[in-house]
Amino acid sequence: VAHTGRTVGRLGEGDWDGKVSEIKKKIKSILPGTSCDLLPDTSHLPPEHSDVVIVGGGVLGLSVAYWLKKLESRRGGIRVLVVERDHTYSQASTGLSVGGICQQFSLPENIQLSLFSASFLRNINEYLAVTNAPPLDLQFNPSGYLLLASEKDAAAMESNVKVQKQEGAKVCLMSPDQLRNKFPWINTEGVALASYGMENEGWFDPWCLLQGLRQKVESMGVFFCQGEVTRFVSSSQRMLTTDDEMVILKRIHEVHVKMDHSLEYQPVECAIVINAAGAWSAQIAALAGIGKGPPGTLQGTKLPVEPRKRDVYVWHCPQGPGLETPLVADTSGAYFRREGLGSNYLGGRSPTEEEEPDPTNLEVDHDFFQEKVWPHLALRVPAFETLKVQTAWAGYYDYNTFDQNGVVGPHPLVVNMYFATGFSGHGLQQAPGVGRAVAEMILQGSFQTIDLSSFLFNRFYLGEKTQENTTM
Amino acid sequence: MLKMVFPTIMLLPTTWFSKNNLIWINLTTHSLIISLIPILFFHQTNNNLISYSTYLSSDPLTTPLLMLTAWLLPLMIMASQYHLHNESPLRKKLYLSMMISLQISLIMTFMATELILFYILFETTLIPTLIIITRWGNQAERLNASTYFLFYTLTGSLPLLIMLLFVHNNLGSLNIPLLTLTAQKLTTTWSHNLTWLACMMAFMVKMPLYGLHLWLPKAHVEAPIAGSMVLAAVLLKLGGYGMMRLTSILNPLTEYMAYPFLMLSLWGMIMTSSTCLRQTDLKSLIAYSSVSHMALVIMASLIQTPWSFTGAIVLMIAHGLTSSMLFCLANSNYERTHSRIMLLSRGLQTLLPLMAFWWFAANLTNLALPPTINLIGELLVMMTSFSWSHVTIMLTGLNMLITALYSLYMLVTTQRGTLTSHIINMKPSFTRENMLMFMHMSPIILLSLNPSIIMGFTT
Repeated sequence: VAHTGRTVGRLGEGDWDGKVSEIKKKIKSILPGTSCDLLPDTSHLPPEHSDVVIVGGGVLGLSVAYWLKKLESRRGGIRVLVVERDHTYSQASTGLSVGGICQQFSLPENIQLSLFSASFLRNINEYLAVTNAPPLDLQFNPSGYLLLASEKDAAAMESNVKVQKQEGAKVCLMSPDQLRNKFPWINTEGVALASYGMENEGWFDPWCLLQGLRQKVESMGVFFCQGEVTRFVSSSQRMLTTDDEMVILKRIHEVHVKMDHSLEYQPVECAIVINAAGAWSAQIAALAGIGKGPPGTLQGTKLPVEPRKRDVYVWHCPQGPGLETPLVADTSGAYFRREGLGSNYLGGRSPTEEEEPDPTNLEVDHDFFQEKVWPHLALRVPAFETLKVQTAWAGYYDYNTFDQNGVVGPHPLVVNMYFATGFSGHGLQQAPGVGRAVAEMILQGSFQTIDLSSFLFNRFYLGEKTQENTTM
Repeated sequence: MLKMVFPTIMLLPTTWFSKNNLIWINLTTHSLIISLIPILFFHQTNNNLISYSTYLSSDPLTTPLLMLTAWLLPLMIMASQYHLHNESPLRKKLYLSMMISLQISLIMTFMATELILFYILFETTLIPTLIIITRWGNQAERLNASTYFLFYTLTGSLPLLIMLLFVHNNLGSLNIPLLTLTAQKLTTTWSHNLTWLACMMAFMVKMPLYGLHLWLPKAHVEAPIAGSMVLAAVLLKLGGYGMMRLTSILNPLTEYMAYPFLMLSLWGMIMTSSTCLRQTDLKSLIAYSSVSHMALVIMASLIQTPWSFTGAIVLMIAHGLTSSMLFCLANSNYERTHSRIMLLSRGLQTLLPLMAFWWFAANLTNLALPPTINLIGELLVMMTSFSWSHVTIMLTGLNMLITALYSLYMLVTTQRGTLTSHIINMKPSFTRENMLMFMHMSPIILLSLNPSIIMGFTT
């Protein structure tokens, strides 16, 4: 076989010039003065080790991160990593929230949480101050909440208001006459009693709180990572309880964080995992093996949090209620509040169990407004008969199907997973208090300021509901 | 001497030819047997070297350090068992070969009679340590840590090579016993000052001296447990040993040149102890406490009185055992909680009471409780520094106070208090771990009964 003109042999094999230039490049990168790119660039990946991994970067996750860093007694004490799947927060409950805060709950813990949050929001520029950054403007409208009760709910409302007053909330009861006096636009048909929050209640801009928390938390040294948690690697151990029962206790020691649009993942070694994934918390809990067992046992108790879609509608009504209008929650479940200064209002209504919309997408159901919300609004506020809908959006509640209140604290079997989720629509207003409670649980071993032991995971197994009996 | 070196070299084929499930047993047993050999060297009728060969010999300064090195190898092997059990057999054998080759170089370093041989082996110890830190360390920062470690030590020791060659040229021999007989007196000229600095800098970096200590917290934190143990227990003592050997040719300049280093040691002692009070990372705390203890050894080596040399040797042995034990304890915590932060593993006394006892004992020896050898070393060094200058007693006394503070802070944070809820399913202590702690603690206790064997040159 005749060879062509090029030399073929040992030396000619392969791309000799290419190899030489590669070696030259390697030598150049080792020399001082140039950045070393011998190793693959991993700056987009989270660190290989983090003491606490917070799954979910919404207001609850960031609040836990903030309080963990604030309550550590030595600077740089704990390494915290916040893993957020969607940096645009397009489906997160925080950004799509109506942004209300009120203390009119029946459980003392909920009232205390909201009171603390109100004081946190009032002093937000002391809590979340970052050097050289402009102060935060939460646009807090302290207009209060007005809850209306029909005859059958009046007694419950009275006892609730008593509890609220005991806890220090400034709430007062109003009769229909007083209502008509104070709010002339209201039609008090069917209203027996109303409770009106006079201080520390109203609404604010949730985006501002989120951004403020985000920038403060970054300045405190928390790592952020955009990725999805796909796997927990855990080690289990059999132990005997005091009643001589065998339980298997698990401990998560590695979290696999998968990057967007790629198969690349980073195993993060961790000591504590915090589940603040909001509407998707059940998936994260299932990854950790919570609920994998025969139903009725502690191993088989799933985290009963699921996403529920809620629509919010914005309308324009030039003859509507004035600037002092509180957030009015009607006896039918419909609610509305003023939005801005141009006679715009927003509101909606919680659907009944049969009417629950499909949570797979965030498309707004406009027929729901026409048929189920507008009639009640028009009944309560006659001026709303001539409203015109401008826009609408939908968001998820991280709905706790068990008792519609949050889950806070460690799981009894997966010992290093802490929950901060399931608040069913009032997560935003309780976020500062819950964040502090979880941080205290981790750093000091028990709830120090607000006792949230009735919100622990155990209640799902024991069947003890911590339920609100308000109409909200 | 070869009866120690050859068996250690033969540990390498033992590693590679053992069956996979017998590696650990074989190596631990054989290294334990090898560690019994230095006991033969302890009986010395006079202060001359026990010269078994022209190249390797052992004298009252060398023997305690040799015993420490030999004793540490089985402990290192035992401590590494857990974090290596998931690796492939090839990697396990590589790791153990690194440790054994490090051991060979260390044994020969301590026994070398010729200073050039000492220097070559001194540099050789860097390479296996570097490989252990870079390959088996835990985090991405280990590359940074190993770069710091390597280059600090290399830069410090290059002038030493030049000086050793120069001295060899002048004197004709660098045999340690002969040095004391033929050394010329150094005066305070510029060239003699530089000579002194060149000889000493390598050991100052190794000890480490306060201003040159940046590599130590990084290397200790990033290294795996065996790496941390050997770094803290033995590699730092190479510096002290070298200083004590070389001071015989550097007189009488040392009295004049040692002044800034004594100041740095005194100040650095207090600074690093205070840094310990602010640490959150357990391994980092122990690393800074090593710097603080070694600053005392530097002071003692530079003051050069018989009591100070005795104090330095005793303190080196005591610190080696104590520091290594603290690293093992911190590692047992890390293996369970996967975090090195003290705040996240509190109240362990209720969960692991026996381990709490070892924590207690280790912290007590760390703060130099009487009558342990830690106290004897520290007390001798403090007394000699007082005799050098009365004012130093305030600084060394303050250092003892702060040492007690951070040792007790470490003890109380990890052991006392309420148990955190996320560590209730910790695995109970393994027998291997308890054995490890006992083997660290028992030499300290036994030596406290008869410390004269480690007291070095006592005439």
